[in-house]
Amino acid sequence: MTKRWLAICAAFVASAACGGGQPSGPPPIRFLHTFSPAETELVNRYLDERGLAVEASLVPFARGQQVIGEILKSGASCPDVIRIDATWLPGLRQQLSPHAAQLDPAAWTPEALALIGPERGLALPQTVDGLIVVRDTATPAPASPSIDDLVVAARAAKTVDRPHPLGVRVDGYWFVPWLRAQQADLAVEAIAGDGATTALRAFASLFGDVASPPPPLGGETPDELRRWRSHGVAYWITGPWQLGALEDPGRVAVSPLAGAPRGGQLLVVPACATQAQRGWELAEELTSDAMQTLFAQTFSTIPTRTAALAAAPPVSRAAAEALRTAQMLPRAAVTPLLFDDLNPALAAVVAKDATPEEAIEGVRRGWARLTRRPR
Amino acid sequence: MTAQPGSLRWRVLLVLALAAIVPTIVVGVLAIIRTRADVQNEVRRGALAHIRALGAALDGTLQDSRRTVELAAATWADAPDDPRQTQLLLARLRRDVPIVQSLSVVDPDGILKYGDPVPPGADIGSHSFGGYVGDAVRIGGKPVVQLVVQARGRTGELMGAFIATLDLSFVRDLLATARLGEGARVVVVDGKGVPVATSDGAPIGMASLAGSDPAVDRALGSSIEGTLSADGTISAYRNLSGYQSLRGVRWAILHQQPEDEAYALARRTTRDTLIVGGVALALALALGGWMATRLTRPLAALARRADAIATGHAEAGPPIEGPGEIGVLGQRIDEMAKRISERHELQSALARGDRLASVGVMSAQVAHEINNPLTTVLGYAKLLQEDKPDDHPDRAGLELIAGEAERMKGIIGGLLEYARTPRGSDAMIGPGKSAELATPTSDPAQVVRHVGALLGPLLQKSKARLATDVQATAPLAIDAHALQQVLVNLVQNAAQAMAGGGTITIGVTKAPGGIATLITVSDEGPGVPAKDRARVFDPFFTTKAAGVGTGLGLAVCKHLVATAGGSIEVGDGPGGRGAEFRLVIPNA
Repeated sequence: MTKRWLAICAAFVASAACGGGQPSGPPPIRFLHTFSPAETELVNRYLDERGLAVEASLVPFARGQQVIGEILKSGASCPDVIRIDATWLPGLRQQLSPHAAQLDPAAWTPEALALIGPERGLALPQTVDGLIVVRDTATPAPASPSIDDLVVAARAAKTVDRPHPLGVRVDGYWFVPWLRAQQADLAVEAIAGDGATTALRAFASLFGDVASPPPPLGGETPDELRRWRSHGVAYWITGPWQLGALEDPGRVAVSPLAGAPRGGQLLVVPACATQAQRGWELAEELTSDAMQTLFAQTFSTIPTRTAALAAAPPVSRAAAEALRTAQMLPRAAVTPLLFDDLNPALAAVVAKDATPEEAIEGVRRGWARLTRRPR
Repeated sequence: MTAQPGSLRWRVLLVLALAAIVPTIVVGVLAIIRTRADVQNEVRRGALAHIRALGAALDGTLQDSRRTVELAAATWADAPDDPRQTQLLLARLRRDVPIVQSLSVVDPDGILKYGDPVPPGADIGSHSFGGYVGDAVRIGGKPVVQLVVQARGRTGELMGAFIATLDLSFVRDLLATARLGEGARVVVVDGKGVPVATSDGAPIGMASLAGSDPAVDRALGSSIEGTLSADGTISAYRNLSGYQSLRGVRWAILHQQPEDEAYALARRTTRDTLIVGGVALALALALGGWMATRLTRPLAALARRADAIATGHAEAGPPIEGPGEIGVLGQRIDEMAKRISERHELQSALARGDRLASVGVMSAQVAHEINNPLTTVLGYAKLLQEDKPDDHPDRAGLELIAGEAERMKGIIGGLLEYARTPRGSDAMIGPGKSAELATPTSDPAQVVRHVGALLGPLLQKSKARLATDVQATAPLAIDAHALQQVLVNLVQNAAQAMAGGGTITIGVTKAPGGIATLITVSDEGPGVPAKDRARVFDPFFTTKAAGVGTGLGLAVCKHLVATAGGSIEVGDGPGGRGAEFRLVIPNA
């Protein structure tokens, strides 16, 4: 009896000793991303389910361009794949690794291909973003996607209980349709004309009229969600990234907005990556139909692959349709930086601390400084 | 007290042990598992709550500093070219933000205008000086963060930037105030995994924990917070970058504690549960053993009793007591043993009766064979005696021979009398016999009177007095001669027993039930000892002196009475004095 137990124990110990070693394999893929906390959880779970060894690191979106730029410039702790905003791509172009495979135009939406643009081969598009008009299904759509018709519709929706039916943020990104309506754009050369001043005046005039005064800095998102849920806004200029947070998707209708900026998120592989091939494989996994469908169903994001978009929820497909008329921001490395000057100028005018002329003049000086600096 | 395997007690003990062990183990294991799970949850929740509070404090300090610098920058931007006001502003800013280590004011082109020299790397990435709190870096080995705040004028135009280096030593001081559990520590790491401060005050180096500490990897790569058990350590982590309201530090805070320490409560609970469970189990087993013994003791007694019965020792022992069915079973076995004993006694009696019958037959044959030569001896002895004068020297011997021969004839006569009447039920109802015999009858009163007359001289000589009390006169189903012989024998014995004289009483009454008559013969002698009462009716049993009795009298009496279908027994006399023979004889 004792011998038998000893034999069993010996076999157990032997098996444990033989099978107890750590499996050897390639190091995990280093993934630097800018997902939100909820998106990060979903991605981590998705990767775990597929047994992908990924060492993910989170970068706050607001500092993403700066942190990623530093890392790529230093070359230390270089990630194998990075999720970036499409506006960062021109500035990072020189530090990225090309993708060997050519994208199949039939498999990707035109908007997704436009996200990459001339940098095709340097990135895989993951989601499309841009400004759309979200409205209650009980509210009529504007007569046309123009901002004038939108403002008219909003004014018509004013009531005692809803004095500010237009939801719009004091932010340069939101200001772009007004600029474009005046044949200007978010570009250094375009800011020089009178159109920018006119646009800024028109934009600032909305607040206190059809749009509510802006909340304190940093409180925009919760304020917008609160006002939407309480039916305080009839027409809400926002992006698809907000759709997932709405509690009643059945209430949501989506309309296009003329001159709306369009962008998105890309997956790129830096030139300093030690596992570039595996980085691209992970990028392909994260842009797969399965992953994009999962994201769309969870957060109402807009897939960049045609098959995933077809399987996306109606609100995502409606948002994708609305973004067809939207336009990309100027493809320049300096474009993301322009907002640093534009945003405070907008805030100053809306707060009536400055006239549109004063503010635009300051923006012009700031942008001129940016363009003359060596990058 | 030891129980042999396979015995009933062993099995009962086994059942009780299983009944005690299984629930105890199940309950104990469940309690241990539940406690461990609860403790683990509490440890995780507690650790997360701890780092949430600490993280909020860290972030709050940095954000307060940022807001204060922003206010100062906005104030400065309205009068950027006033050196005196700027110096006053910077002095007040240093006072209001004590963690400021260095403070610089630069123009939009990054040229220093006021304050300390610009630390290296302050124009992090963007030449626009987009406001942010930079990552933690080391300056002189001390962890710091660099805060860049745009100084924009009334119109929003960039007038310059405030670049502040914030000393993160307060993080260490803050962590040092944390009240942590045994072996626990809190560590704050920057976005590259390099420790910024630890609660235990351990020196921090430049080595990153990323890649070597799974919790750090998880914290930097995950979203907000979570827990992780790895390498014997339970870690709770929170990525502070994830909830910064504005551009903030990339860092994470971790609470780490060895599992041995974190789950000490669970371990103590497990130990206590095992001890209490063990004690409870031991008590249950002891109680079970006691109950098993109590339960099986009467069964063991029953088994022993059954063994005794099986080996022929069916005499009644002490009563077997036990609870419920066992008690009933004990009673039944006692009754069974009693009946077996009675049956055994009956069989013994029957065997003895057969033996006595054989003795009687043999005695009759011997007596018959001896009687003839003895008659010859007696005849010749008397003949020779007649021929001898009284003083002849042989006469005494001849008289002795004749006397002894007479006594021998008396014995032989008794034997012949004993053997003359058929004995036992077989003789009474034997085939072809009961139908041929006429039922004898007798008048008890007449027989008693006749006995008194017959024994008068003897009684007078013995100084005994015969008293009679005849209350029943129904004719008895016994031959008058036989009844007379019985009474004469009993009265003679009584007279011989009362050496100093006394009263002999013959009573005749109706026996209970009215179908028989009770005749008692009592005396005032020493009585018959209890030990002899069962044998006094045996042939040749006598308590008299040698040569006085033959030992056949009471045997003859019993057989005469039994022949009539009656019974005879002996007991104490009235008042416990003397002896009393009780005859029950069926009425005719």
